[in-house]
Amino acid sequence: MLSIQNLHAEIDGKVILKGLTLELGAGEIHAIMGPNGAGKSTLAYVLGGRPGYEITEGSVTFQGKDLLDMAPHERAAAGLFLGFQYPVEIPGISNVQFLRTALNAQKKERGEAELSGGAFLKIAREQADGLGLDMDMMKRPVNVGFSGGEKKRNEMVQMGIIDPALAVLDETDSGLDIDALRIVGDGINRIMRKPDKAVLLITHYQRLLDYVRPDFVHVLADGRIVRSGGADLALELERAGYAGIAA
Amino acid sequence: MTLALPTTREEAWRWSDLTALPALATQTPTGTPAAIDPLWIAAEGPRLLFIDGRYAAEHSTPGPVTLGPVAPAGTHPLGTLTAGHDGWTLTVPAGEAIERTIQIVHIATGGANHVPARISLADGASASIVETHAGDGWSNRQTDITLGANAHLTRNVRLMQASGFTSTRETITLAANAHLAATVLAIGDAGTRIDAGITLHGDAARAEYGGALLSRDRQRHDAAIAVRHEALDGVSRQLWRAVADDRATASLAARVEVARGAQKTDGEQSLRGLLLRRTATINLKPELEIFADDVKCAHGATVGELDAEALWYLASRGVPPQAARALLTRAFVGDAFDRIEEEPIRDAFRAAADAWLGAEA
Repeated sequence: MLSIQNLHAEIDGKVILKGLTLELGAGEIHAIMGPNGAGKSTLAYVLGGRPGYEITEGSVTFQGKDLLDMAPHERAAAGLFLGFQYPVEIPGISNVQFLRTALNAQKKERGEAELSGGAFLKIAREQADGLGLDMDMMKRPVNVGFSGGEKKRNEMVQMGIIDPALAVLDETDSGLDIDALRIVGDGINRIMRKPDKAVLLITHYQRLLDYVRPDFVHVLADGRIVRSGGADLALELERAGYAGIAA
Repeated sequence: MTLALPTTREEAWRWSDLTALPALATQTPTGTPAAIDPLWIAAEGPRLLFIDGRYAAEHSTPGPVTLGPVAPAGTHPLGTLTAGHDGWTLTVPAGEAIERTIQIVHIATGGANHVPARISLADGASASIVETHAGDGWSNRQTDITLGANAHLTRNVRLMQASGFTSTRETITLAANAHLAATVLAIGDAGTRIDAGITLHGDAARAEYGGALLSRDRQRHDAAIAVRHEALDGVSRQLWRAVADDRATASLAARVEVARGAQKTDGEQSLRGLLLRRTATINLKPELEIFADDVKCAHGATVGELDAEALWYLASRGVPPQAARALLTRAFVGDAFDRIEEEPIRDAFRAAADAWLGAEA
């Protein structure tokens, strides 16, 4: 599904990723953990194609295609979804309008028929219900006036509507209370735990992994994967801390 | 006849570009307009068509509007040029309501044309007028409006000429409890000068005057609006959105004057500019002149660019760059049309803005 080889990336002349290699197969959930400044968010941004990052070495292949050669909107249409750590507020555009525009732009890019307003609203209502977000909120401007938890649930509603092949979720658990954590975790399992999909969960903490059990856990430190293992590795990290593991 | 035009050395005209007008004034219109039908908004009601400033009776159903000479009020340098020309008059007697929206389409085919107009709503009368300017050449208008006590006028104007220049001058006087709701959309590819002087003469009058200026290439839009509060409890709202792309310039000078004794005035100005490219220019000049001590006047003026974070968020969800820019620009100007009460007219104004955004490369 996703193959990252020897990836080097920098921003404003500062080298962040220093030879990162990672393979994700279909049907797999991978967690990336690591201390602050290790390059976790940079990895998410580079995969999404955020402007400002320079790739100096390495390659990323997504479903057989060169991901780094695609514009951000083309990556989305190819099946990549990036869950934001800090979802952006957009005054003047409703969630419904935002998502319908996004979904239909993706369909157009793939040469598929666009969805009618009614068909779209049906999907939006199902997904909002699944994440416990009111349809009234979906009619409000994108993330404006939403609490931190509501913004993260809204990211999951978006993921459900867009139905991507690969989700890269950047600290989707931050800012969530225990109940919201379970709702979001259930959402990830329901939408993404399928044989033809994969998830890259970027997180600081073990707690989300209680709800979304990863098949693989990787430790990212100083721009490289320094250790990989099964779900147990997250528990070990929680006990020993990053210092002990990454050393 | 030599044309005496204001120059940019005069403060009220510093952002104007009237340099094309002398040449246009000497040219002869071709007299053959492009398609007229698409310019009508799908709403039932009286319709008047002017071609190069001349009333086209065969295309019109004027309803309560009468045609003939109108003497423009005041000494506005462009407005007075309409003197001696035939124009139109709408007079609505006390307590009467013109139920259906009156549409006036002005289409020009080059050269220059001048039309004076007068709208008089007596006490308790109401009417709604929508005007559309299209075509080429210089179209110059003065409209003098008086609203009696409790009168209500809805006025929406689309300036969408493909080339040339459109200048509009309006004088508006409101008696007690009168209500004006006006929205102007400057679009198309012609230069514009939108000039209005609004006086809240009676107590508790309410004047809403605003709109959107969308400019591109080397286009210049220029609005100069002055609202004068002379009586108690007056409310004024000036909400303008200006967008400039390429090397265009969009300018807004909005003034509120509160006379001595105009206590409890509530004046609000919201002037916002959006630069789609750094080669474009937006000038905002909010002005307050207050001689009463118990008033509430708020004004905000900001110029910005499209939010890079929002563009990235939209891209990450699959929206291509041009569509993302159009969506955010649409959201930016959207406020300006919320005041339009009649749905077909609001839709037509939004559609005109959408068409502009779609064409914006």
